[in-house]
Amino acid sequence: MDKKKIDFKELVRSNAVTIMFVALCIFCMVFSNTSVSYVLMAMVGRLSRNAFIVLALIIPIVAGMGINFAITIGAMAAQIALLWVVEWQITGLGGFVLAALITVPLAAVFGFLIGKLLNKMKGQEMIGGLILGYFANGLYQLLFLFIFGNLIPLNTPGLVIKGSTGVANTISLQSIKYALDNIWSVDFGTALYVMSGVIVVYMILMAAFKKKKEVSAIVITIVLGVCCAVYAFVPAVADLFSMVTVPMITFVVVGFLCVFNNAIMRTRLGQQFRAVGQNRTVANASGINVDRIRLIAIVISTVLAGWGQLIFVQNMGTFQTYGAHEQVGLYAGAAILVGGASIRKATNKQAILGCFLFHLLFEVAPSAAKTIFGDAAIGEYFRVFISYGVIAMALVMHAWSGVQKKKKKALSAQ
Amino acid sequence: MTKSKLKISIAILLAVLAVVSAVVGFVNLPKRTSEIGEDIISDLRIQTIINATTGDGLIETYIGLAKEEARVKAKEAKLKMAEQRKVIAEAEEATRAKYEGVDTDNSSINPDDLAEPVKAYAEKLKAYLDEEASARQEYYDAHYDEAEAKAQAEREAKIAEGKDVPETMKVVVDMSGFVATEKMNALRAVSDEAYAQMGDAFKKSYPLIDDQALEAFEESIEKIVYVAGDDFSDLYDRYNAAGSMNAVDDKTAAFMVRYADDFIYIAIALVIVVLTILFSEFLIAKFGIPRVIIGLFFILLCFVSLFYDLPLDTYFSNTLVRMGMNSIMVLAMVPGIQCGISLNLGLPIGLVAGLFGGLATIQLGIPGFWGFLFAILVGGVIAAIAGWMYGHLLNRLKGEEMGVTTYVGFSIVSLMCIVWLVLPFNSLKLRWPLGSGMRNTIGLDKTNFEHVLDDFLAFEIGGFTVPTGLLLFMAALCFLVWLFGRSKTGIAMQAVGNNPRFAEATGISVNKMRIIGTVFSTVLGAIGILVYSQSYGFMQLYTAPRQMGFIAASAILIGGASTSRCKVSHVLIGTFLFQGVLTLGMPVANVIVPGSTFSETLRILISNGIILYALTKSGGATRG
Repeated sequence: MDKKKIDFKELVRSNAVTIMFVALCIFCMVFSNTSVSYVLMAMVGRLSRNAFIVLALIIPIVAGMGINFAITIGAMAAQIALLWVVEWQITGLGGFVLAALITVPLAAVFGFLIGKLLNKMKGQEMIGGLILGYFANGLYQLLFLFIFGNLIPLNTPGLVIKGSTGVANTISLQSIKYALDNIWSVDFGTALYVMSGVIVVYMILMAAFKKKKEVSAIVITIVLGVCCAVYAFVPAVADLFSMVTVPMITFVVVGFLCVFNNAIMRTRLGQQFRAVGQNRTVANASGINVDRIRLIAIVISTVLAGWGQLIFVQNMGTFQTYGAHEQVGLYAGAAILVGGASIRKATNKQAILGCFLFHLLFEVAPSAAKTIFGDAAIGEYFRVFISYGVIAMALVMHAWSGVQKKKKKALSAQ
Repeated sequence: MTKSKLKISIAILLAVLAVVSAVVGFVNLPKRTSEIGEDIISDLRIQTIINATTGDGLIETYIGLAKEEARVKAKEAKLKMAEQRKVIAEAEEATRAKYEGVDTDNSSINPDDLAEPVKAYAEKLKAYLDEEASARQEYYDAHYDEAEAKAQAEREAKIAEGKDVPETMKVVVDMSGFVATEKMNALRAVSDEAYAQMGDAFKKSYPLIDDQALEAFEESIEKIVYVAGDDFSDLYDRYNAAGSMNAVDDKTAAFMVRYADDFIYIAIALVIVVLTILFSEFLIAKFGIPRVIIGLFFILLCFVSLFYDLPLDTYFSNTLVRMGMNSIMVLAMVPGIQCGISLNLGLPIGLVAGLFGGLATIQLGIPGFWGFLFAILVGGVIAAIAGWMYGHLLNRLKGEEMGVTTYVGFSIVSLMCIVWLVLPFNSLKLRWPLGSGMRNTIGLDKTNFEHVLDDFLAFEIGGFTVPTGLLLFMAALCFLVWLFGRSKTGIAMQAVGNNPRFAEATGISVNKMRIIGTVFSTVLGAIGILVYSQSYGFMQLYTAPRQMGFIAASAILIGGASTSRCKVSHVLIGTFLFQGVLTLGMPVANVIVPGSTFSETLRILISNGIILYALTKSGGATRG
């Protein structure tokens, strides 16, 4: 019993940010005037479109490069791909898949260049990635203002506005809106049953092949069963979810990425990521080409970020040509930190949890501020403050613990 | 060896080109004011006038005149609309019939017959128009203060009534009271007479033209002949655009004369290119690739604006102002780098403190220079307190400052966004009459500290305004920082920045020195934003200060600083180069791609590119 108590305390300490965020979310929920069912509906939407890009941050963190703020460049690659898909007027799922395919080489090349540069500024990757993102934004503006639409003509109406230079400020994606989401979109009940069914079958199989402990399989099955039962037999709960529709395929894609993240960590490459992340000098001594491993991590992350941005904009149905990518790194980075990740450690669970909490606050903060201060703008600024603040705090904590460790080392050396 | 041989041969080739170009330029430039140039202009001018007034167009003019006459007559007779239309149509028919089959060929005109009278007219018109322009300017200058006081009074009255006021105060001088001076009238009479003489000459060589037509054409001919401020290039370009080049016999010679100055510019540019090629290794070793690129880019922009005949002196004047207004913020980087916290990207902490000081001044209504001092005092005190806390934070994060400072700065800026929203200041200059919170941009005016430094002892040399007060203030603060660097504390601080372990060993308190540096940097940031605002005329709140830390950091890096070493001279060089490129970049880009936001893109690329470069150079150095 005693041991468990200490664990609990440690748990609180190491998850201070997450717990604080949960409290903040609950506080805002109470004061916001929005109904729970509306918030749930919005949250499922936000989760479906944002989770992927947050998950794209995990590999560079494991590889010791911190939060990859250069994922904005991946988002830019996706937007370049989208522009051409719109220009060629390829609609629906075909357009989406084509954009995803074009994104791969673009983002891979960009990722390669980012990796090359970040290898020259080891230990400063995060600030480097951030400023690289700004720099790339300048190049992106050059491309969209002076090259596309001028040197390379665009013919689709609406892409170029007469009398102004370059590509229009917003690009409408009506032709591929919901291309992924609407393949199989169901109400919450169906989604719950299907997901539970799949997980239970998976658990049974795992247990049968002795890859997982039977106890945990049984516990998970029971929990899922209770959830389904509550949803089915308590009308009040079902009512809460009445507005929710779940884009199944999008979540399946997110699920695949989780599986991919886990699977790659079990490969040789994954082990090398971890080795480089823990200590570059040791990794180098053990024969790992540190620069190459870091490069691979960034390339994967950039490509995934590009796909994440595609998922985001196909859900939104439109994007700001010159602004849609700007905050991607900030929001994704803040989200994963909120979930309890640090600059050196991150898991799928933390990413998903962080994404949920962060966007929950985004959803409810303005209306809560409106209730408390009578001004929604305060909430808007508050959530931006929280985004920056969370990252600043994570950096401070990380730097602090690093300095502390060094001090301890120095003490023990004496 | 082959590489250097190639280099030298290219250099020689370019040098020869430069000499040729210079010779062409210097031979042709004096021709502009000599007879040759006058002949070219005269030929072009006459041809343009002939094109504009004779030929088939003249018939149409007569028809138009007839129609107008008929319309006036019909209106006087109070005819109905339908009848009016009929009368006008009849007049048109009649005129058309009158000139049916008339030979409008204007090739019979001999331009030489017109040369003398046109030249005389041009000279007299020039005398009149120049006199008018200077008289108008005199009137404008005489009435400007009055108009400004009136606008200010209106603004104050509006604020007193609780009405919304625009951020900028627009001073409009009412020119309706302007009357022609006696000298002007006399000159006008002379030029009218010359016009009549020219008209006679025209009638002689082209009988189809009559007095009525000449009267109708007077305004357009006047615009062809001379517009105030015209020089050789302006006239040449205007006539060329009107398609009168056929009148010149030797087009190449005319072209050479027109572009003589550009040949000289090209020669100078080539000389610079030659020198750069010859000394490229030395330059790159001494200044580093990015600074060489930016420096050359700046020179290129100068030449492009000369080539397009843009007012380079005005741009240099603007550059000087922008250098002054940005320099203090850049200077704020110096103590930070010297004390070892690297680039202080948390500068927005100081900036918001300064902005708060400015707001307090406006709220209390302290005018002029004392208001500015008060703002500096309030901002400086807040900045010092914030910098002290910030320094303590940084002392716990040695070696990781850059990333942390950036995000701490960002967080503070967004926290201050909330503060700006809830701040209980009630001056209507600061807040919206309806709704809550401070305005996004707060326009300063003469009752606050707008241009208190810029206008102090400012004087003009041609198109070049020197903001004496601003430059003096900049020089004073630079000197102060330089002096501080020579003081005992300053030397100790730099020792900490260069080698903390050594400093510790010699008994210097590393933490204390770092805090002093951080506080100094933050306070300079607060002063910097106030200097910036007084010159800009606006205080920008909310998200505006977020990127300013980066701009300041990149300026000092361009000047030659690294993330661990810098001098005051880097501040001046860097700010001048950076602001110069931005100031010149905009008009040049607008000539090449009209209506573009190229300058903003340029700023993003340069400022972030140079920081990235500095990071790659410092890579791992701060790993500890």
